[in-house]
Amino acid sequence: MAEPTVARKIYLRAYAGLLSLTLLTTLLAFVNMGWFNTVAALMIAVTQALLIGGIFMHALYETALVRVILAGGVLWFLILITLTMTDYLTRSR
Amino acid sequence: MADNSSDVLPGREARAHLDHFATAEQQRNTAMAGMWIFLVTEIMMFGGLFMAYAVYRLGHPQAFASASRDMNIVLGAVNTAILITSSFTMALAAQAAEEGLLRPAKWLLAATILIGIVFLGIKFVEYYQHYRDHKAPGFGFQTNLPDPGGIQMFYIFYFAMTGLHAVHMIVGIGLLAALLIMTELGRFSREYHSPVVITGLYWGFVDIVWVFLFAIFYLPGLHLHG
Repeated sequence: MAEPTVARKIYLRAYAGLLSLTLLTTLLAFVNMGWFNTVAALMIAVTQALLIGGIFMHALYETALVRVILAGGVLWFLILITLTMTDYLTRSR
Repeated sequence: MADNSSDVLPGREARAHLDHFATAEQQRNTAMAGMWIFLVTEIMMFGGLFMAYAVYRLGHPQAFASASRDMNIVLGAVNTAILITSSFTMALAAQAAEEGLLRPAKWLLAATILIGIVFLGIKFVEYYQHYRDHKAPGFGFQTNLPDPGGIQMFYIFYFAMTGLHAVHMIVGIGLLAALLIMTELGRFSREYHSPVVITGLYWGFVDIVWVFLFAIFYLPGLHLHG
């Protein structure tokens, strides 16, 4: 068959990593780090998204076509964020 | 994984591929590409909401932080762990289906449904608590915090985004129930199981959305004291 078989050990490690990151992000949120609280929470969320997408959803093992489709989606989302923020982050209050 | 024939149910209508595909692999790749395109449209839909949230949070940083302090962090964190667990069982179910191990796949699908229902149950308890505490905009919303407009915006985004997420969960549970019935009817085999894998992609995506919802609604105010 075309689809690669991912070892159950890899799923288990991803699962353990995801639960640890959930605990980590919750505990970190209680520590006052100023603006870095938001950055840390988002960085951990992105890591969790990569674990779920890459391993649970097999994005790491998919065809080039699927990777292009996914990259297109992420790119357009970043365009949405970037262009909107060029306005809102540069307004004088 | 060794082939365990006792775990393979008889595939009454199981076929390698449909007539308009050259090979089973082409059929599978087409299904995957189609599902990922759909998920990209979902990124766009949720993306617009995340963008709007970011704009309002920049405009009302204190209000969003103090409003998020009223979230139930224990229920939120537990629910995150619960949903991650359901993604794990879903990934294992898709893997089992790919290997033609349909009996374990069935149990893993059933487990995913049950864990998904637990998630929705906890979400419902949270919604009820917000309603009881007059935190639901449009249903007697009240707050003593400064910048009530900003506080209300936080809750509008909270209900809209977690609500849309919950609708996705309900749809997902329906899809999983259909898969369970199709597995029982012997529709899947080692050669044909794309619906299970595709639904697994959907379920994983819904989990990814929740991870970000948890980060933006439950976490921002926790480090503030008083």
